[in-house]
Amino acid sequence: MKKPFLLSAIVMLVSLMAGICFAGPAKDYRIGIVTPTLSASEDEFRGAIRVAKKYPGMIKHISLPENYQEEQETAITQILSLADQADIKAIIIAAGYSGILPAIQKVKARRPEMVVITAPIWDDPDMMVKYIDLCLDTDWVRRGITIPEKAKKMGAKTFIHYSFPTHMAKEVLAKRRDTMKATCERLGVKFVALNTPDPKTGAGSTPMLQFLSEDIPRQIAKYGKDTCIFGTNCPMQDVIIAQALELKFIMAEQCCPTPTQGFPAAMELEITEKDAGDFDKINAMIAQKAAAAGCTGRLSTWPVPVGYFFPEFATEVAMKMIEGTLKEVSVATLSPLAKDVAGVDVYFEKMKPELNNYYLIVMDSVFY
Amino acid sequence: MKRFGVQIPQVFIIVFLALMVVLALGLDIPMNWIISDALVRLVMNGVLVLSLVPMLKAGIGINFGLPVGIIAGLLGLCISVNFRMKGLWGLSAGMLFSVPVAIVLGYGYGAILNRVKGKEEITATFVGFSFIPLMNFFWAIAPFSNPSMLWPIGGKGMRPVIGLKSYFAKALNHLWMVEVMGVKIPVGLLLFFAVLCLLLVVFFRTNFGRAMTAVGENEQFARLSGINVTRVRTWAIILSTLIAALGICVYAQSYGFIELYDAPLMMAFPAASAILVGGSMGRHTHIVHVVIGTFLFQTTYLISGPIANEMMLPEVAEIFRLMITNGIILYALLYEGGKTS
Repeated sequence: MKKPFLLSAIVMLVSLMAGICFAGPAKDYRIGIVTPTLSASEDEFRGAIRVAKKYPGMIKHISLPENYQEEQETAITQILSLADQADIKAIIIAAGYSGILPAIQKVKARRPEMVVITAPIWDDPDMMVKYIDLCLDTDWVRRGITIPEKAKKMGAKTFIHYSFPTHMAKEVLAKRRDTMKATCERLGVKFVALNTPDPKTGAGSTPMLQFLSEDIPRQIAKYGKDTCIFGTNCPMQDVIIAQALELKFIMAEQCCPTPTQGFPAAMELEITEKDAGDFDKINAMIAQKAAAAGCTGRLSTWPVPVGYFFPEFATEVAMKMIEGTLKEVSVATLSPLAKDVAGVDVYFEKMKPELNNYYLIVMDSVFY
Repeated sequence: MKRFGVQIPQVFIIVFLALMVVLALGLDIPMNWIISDALVRLVMNGVLVLSLVPMLKAGIGINFGLPVGIIAGLLGLCISVNFRMKGLWGLSAGMLFSVPVAIVLGYGYGAILNRVKGKEEITATFVGFSFIPLMNFFWAIAPFSNPSMLWPIGGKGMRPVIGLKSYFAKALNHLWMVEVMGVKIPVGLLLFFAVLCLLLVVFFRTNFGRAMTAVGENEQFARLSGINVTRVRTWAIILSTLIAALGICVYAQSYGFIELYDAPLMMAFPAASAILVGGSMGRHTHIVHVVIGTFLFQTTYLISGPIANEMMLPEVAEIFRLMITNGIILYALLYEGGKTS
């Protein structure tokens, strides 16, 4: 009876030591990343996959139900299942949905030491900061200041804001338009707000895009080519950038700033499977096409999509938190980390002065 | 006038359009731009509207399954872009590639519609709606190899929007473009449309075309006179699908992008609206209705936008336009119902 016990004890000890030796620097914990499915949002999904490649064996990537709105219960169960695995010490949720906070509350009740980072979820901010270690999001309203400022720097004398009633009924977007207007007045840039047919009613985005492709040449004929055009709706960007290549006006930023929105279609970027997701290469390609069209310095955006940046950045922060090298989150501690990941400066600002762990970001730009 | 079915609603929309033109002149909106754009829009959407005619004539009703034909066209265009064909040749090749696809799809679509006689319109709507998701799946895994068509991050599957600038964007628009007093007249584009309309007129003068009209007028009578009704209906559907495929080719080259995935989903509705605005009453559809309808419908669209932005009352013009065009469609449907019952 004694011998087998001793044997098994030795085997266990040896394997444990071997495990320690061979595992080398690999860490003895895992991080759960929660994103939407590929078809719901390419950026976050691919972002999580990239982190999993960077830290093999350390990332548990799960995706939320395709039709999240109908299956919120499933989403909560999925997130809770991460908390049941003892080696998972952090959960990162990059989803852009509302209604995930209850799952986080349950996770925290069960595992108070679990590090939870959201990048972003959209629940009530005052409640979120009580349970979540770090909340991240894009600073949509502050872009109302940064975009006109950038446009002015690029030489804009007029700033055109294309939108439609359904968008202007959304508080954040309306606020951003007002901020843009105020910023333009401060900078001495003429601000023009124009309406397009509403894509959310009736025949979809076709009439809107048709209108844009007819209206932009008219406006450029009227205001000259030192005009910056900004559209609030994603499908608009293809048309705006295509027209910018022809008419040489300024496109300072799309509604969702990333090299992968608008540019690939408008410039017919030929991105091979090898280069897909390599943003240095994609940015170089865009710069080259812009130069060929004679638009150097007229186009700009953020170098990496925010949805692609957040999963990796949040993972880095979570690792530092688990290992105890990051004691508290602040602009000073987050900025250098973000710069490492994004390759450009990332500016953090508190969402509200009294909330210490809710930060909004604006990224530095790449000019083509 | 009566022969072409010009009714009170058409008078209404013409008055509305005239009023807007006067307003536009008063607001210093450059009319030469508006006219140029109106001509382009007429053909860009006109071919898609034209594709409704064979099915209407054969008594099958409005082709709400237009996306089926559109997809055939998109597939043809994608194949052409995949082989990097350029200019007018690229466009013609795209049209050519879409023909067999349209015939095959049209045949299957026809087989479905022939099983649900009397309920074709609602069935067609759902054929369109269910075909799109199926194709979404196809686009995501389609083995195309031209990297300018593939997803930028994943590197596999088709992008939702494919730029055509270096292939055949505006190839037909710019063919024989003439400028008269600041108005750009796309002669090639208009000729293409005219020839297509003429071909369809000639087709309906042939025996087979007459048989199609006969089936639409009175199915029983047609059957008694020895016409194979199912076959004729199938061909009407194939013809509609085929013209729709050509229609999206013309549309895409004019817009400058191929739009995949959900983009064709709602395209049947503006086309249906246009033909009804033109005065089509079910079986009694003429090519003239297509031209008048598309022109009036698209031009009110075209002109209401700039006017609204100049007058700083964006919502009002949009509401008026929707009220008038949708009102006319309702009238057309009511009138048609009243006549048949």
